[in-house]
Amino acid sequence: MNVIVTNADYMALAPVAVVAVTALAVLLADLLSRTYAQRYVAIGIGLAGLAIASVVAARGYGVDYAAFGGAFVLGGFSVVFEEIVIVAALGSLVLYGAIGREERMGGAVALMLWSACGAMLMAGAANLMMIFLGLELLSLALYCLCGLADRPTSRESALKYLILSSVASGFMLYGMALLFGASGSVQLSALTNAALLSNPLFWMGSGFFLVGIAFKLSLVPFHTWSPDVYEGAPLPVTAFMSVATKAGALAVFGRFIYAALPSGAADRLLLPVWIIAAISMIAGNVGMLAQHDLKRLLAYSGIAQVGYILTAFAGGTAIGMRYAIYYLAAYAFMNLGAFAVAATLSEDEEEGSRLANYRGLGRRHPLAAAFMTIFMLALAGFPPTAGFLGKILILSSSVNAGYAWMGGVLIVGTAISLYAYAKVIRAMYARDENVQVSDTHPFVPLAWISAAACFVALIVMTFYPLTPSNVLPLVR
Amino acid sequence: MIALIVILLPIAAGFALYAVPDAHGRTSKIIGTAVAAATLLMTAAQPHAEFSMRWLSRPFTASLHFGATPVSIWIVLLLALCTTCAILATNVPRRRNFIAQMLLLEGAMMGLFLARDLMAFALFWDLMLLPVFFVLVNWGEHTATAWRYFLYNFAGGLTLLLATAAFGILYGSTDVIGRADVHIVGAWVPWIFAGFAFAFLIKTPVWPLHTWMPPTYSDMPSPMVAVVSSVQSKAGLYGLIVIGMAFMPDYLRAYSGAFIVLGVVSLLYGAFVALTQNDAKRIVAYSSLSHLGLIVLAIASFNPIALKGAIVYIVAHGLFSAALFLIIGYVEDREGTRSLARLGGLGAVNPRLAGAFTIAVLAALGLPGLAGFAGEIVILTGVFQAGYVWPTILALVPIVLASAYMLRLFQDVMNGPAVEDVPVRRDLTWLEGIAIAPLLLALVLVGVNPHALTVFDPAPYSVAASSQGVVR
Repeated sequence: MNVIVTNADYMALAPVAVVAVTALAVLLADLLSRTYAQRYVAIGIGLAGLAIASVVAARGYGVDYAAFGGAFVLGGFSVVFEEIVIVAALGSLVLYGAIGREERMGGAVALMLWSACGAMLMAGAANLMMIFLGLELLSLALYCLCGLADRPTSRESALKYLILSSVASGFMLYGMALLFGASGSVQLSALTNAALLSNPLFWMGSGFFLVGIAFKLSLVPFHTWSPDVYEGAPLPVTAFMSVATKAGALAVFGRFIYAALPSGAADRLLLPVWIIAAISMIAGNVGMLAQHDLKRLLAYSGIAQVGYILTAFAGGTAIGMRYAIYYLAAYAFMNLGAFAVAATLSEDEEEGSRLANYRGLGRRHPLAAAFMTIFMLALAGFPPTAGFLGKILILSSSVNAGYAWMGGVLIVGTAISLYAYAKVIRAMYARDENVQVSDTHPFVPLAWISAAACFVALIVMTFYPLTPSNVLPLVR
Repeated sequence: MIALIVILLPIAAGFALYAVPDAHGRTSKIIGTAVAAATLLMTAAQPHAEFSMRWLSRPFTASLHFGATPVSIWIVLLLALCTTCAILATNVPRRRNFIAQMLLLEGAMMGLFLARDLMAFALFWDLMLLPVFFVLVNWGEHTATAWRYFLYNFAGGLTLLLATAAFGILYGSTDVIGRADVHIVGAWVPWIFAGFAFAFLIKTPVWPLHTWMPPTYSDMPSPMVAVVSSVQSKAGLYGLIVIGMAFMPDYLRAYSGAFIVLGVVSLLYGAFVALTQNDAKRIVAYSSLSHLGLIVLAIASFNPIALKGAIVYIVAHGLFSAALFLIIGYVEDREGTRSLARLGGLGAVNPRLAGAFTIAVLAALGLPGLAGFAGEIVILTGVFQAGYVWPTILALVPIVLASAYMLRLFQDVMNGPAVEDVPVRRDLTWLEGIAIAPLLLALVLVGVNPHALTVFDPAPYSVAASSQGVVR
């Protein structure tokens, strides 16, 4: 197959390119700038580059264009996921300003930007090779990032992530090979051929492929890595990982189930996915109850929240896709906000994540406690946050699509989760006379701005629920 | 616009109070009372104000639509009145934060009762749990109580959420509260009805879903429990009328037997348990269970007369339970205990306190001329007319028992020999008197002229019921 590459093809990749070049600029600037300024130069350049990338990406919203012979599709779907990844990177980069010792940040910032490139590639990837390329770019950078903190848990986290994630990548790659064998093409669109329904290679390949995805989404029973990895990784990396990997994997999953399956395959093939999503909603929320560490808590919470998002996907309706994206965006703000508050409390990197340190926060630092309360309530689906509206929208789409049983499971899971989230709130506000915790970190403007922005976004999203409308036609 | 202001003003004021320097809380008390009184005046001045703004257009249409319905206008006025009185009567540690939470609670419940859209209803349904949870965490006596309240009611809120979503999908719009022409049909309706009913029955509460209620009422400081027992407990009943009865009358009718059983059991159970309690607040809490059971019975009887009685009794119960809890709060401020075993003989030295308590107790036990009687007699007439003879007879038993436990409460607190080691302090101060007077006055006014409460006709909700031949 001869692919003619035009300028328009490169333009489709412009947002990714901007982020990648920014990472290089960060490394160069890091060499040239003075020691005391390095951290803020690196973060500043990174933020500026991401801002430019988000503007560039937004220009592709109304476009429908398949670049590089259909390997990378530019359109509403990919743009929305790219923007979510960019938001995740923005919200995580600013946390580098709040925590950690004065040390060279250039490498970490650059790695995070490259990781974001990987997730953005996954957002637009429409052929199997591009998906794998994006996934590996995302993951490789994350392996390094996880191990960057000078702690044994951080090294453990990096090793665990490397080994388990590689296994998942292996599954996925094997699945892709089988799919290629079945369809004779790496294009996702080639999988819509109805003749594949009778081909066992297709079923096996799809199965392996979905196992890989489920692993990246940390669905039960492939979830055990995420609490350990989240706990050990540095705070900004955990924040980034919790949103960006989910966004990338969900983009691939969405494209796969909406645009790459022969008609009639979806119901049979995806039922196991819905079942493990339902189990994840329960298991994630139950697992959350016993946690004493914010990162672990949010890891288990993430397992359940992915289940909620998949509930919106269930049934494969156009409207469900929109609500999945809405909820994913809301989830990004909830998570990034919670991590931003945690960063303001971090004297060294561990501190903000221990739940014991939140005791009495309501008196020590009312504003931080108020922000944290809102983010916890949003995760639990309380009004007036986007979590509440997102849940209603997901429930209505699940009823609409005939998957009301998943809505029922979602309700049960949410009821369980409230205890875990409210435990954090109670710790912050309860009268507790003998609290012996160090005071909050001195003023960290970037993390505060990030928390405030997430707060505003969550409230505004509730009353102006913009669900992207022209997403579905653009999935190829 | 007024409809939106009365919701947002208390909420904004509640958050703004946190910026007030907390010297001794007098400033916050003045601000809090002024804001609550302002909402009362605004609601009373423009009872028909409406506000509407498009919220969602897909997958169903939803609006931020607020405005009083014939049923809710009285509950909204009751809420504003009770909050005003309760804030004026507030005397708790960390008063500024407490009053801020009271205002947030008022705003959230304003939103709930003014909501004309099921989505907005669900939003405020969950929202109104938060101030109570914070108060239980900060001022409550046991942590477990806060959890029990929160988890129980959140579970109800979630089924409400699922039912709202399903309703929206089925009907295509959730902008329906207050309309009488909306009826939904289909295989889903029993489940939708069950989702709503579960939430409403937990919130009311009825036996056997009531276990969160007595500890919640006894743990919370009196001013807030006055508002919660008088208004928040009406949210479920209000929902049964404007959602259950208006949109799904067939299902409410189909299950009316179950509702009547739950109502009668709550009536009897609450009354018998109230007889045995030692904590003054728990007596009133269990009496609430009993009284609200009567309203459930009235709604389930599908009789227009009983429905009018239910509205009168909703207001009456709100007034006397708020008054009772505020007065018990006064007693607790003075004596440092609510235990009937340790109280006694207050009446001789606190005549004004005893006088106020007398009116509230008599209204609660249903003395003719006070609000409680007016509601009870109309409900019983209606239920009897609807053909439910045995429930009517059974409902008479707790009314007799109400005299027993209410008089016992009064006697043990006010009469008898004064207990020695309990210091007897001052009588009702003029501020405390002003705080309680509007409630007592309203009890008398509603008692002598209950007809005024039916000036806005709740007929649209009972038309659906009566047009299908209710009288059996």
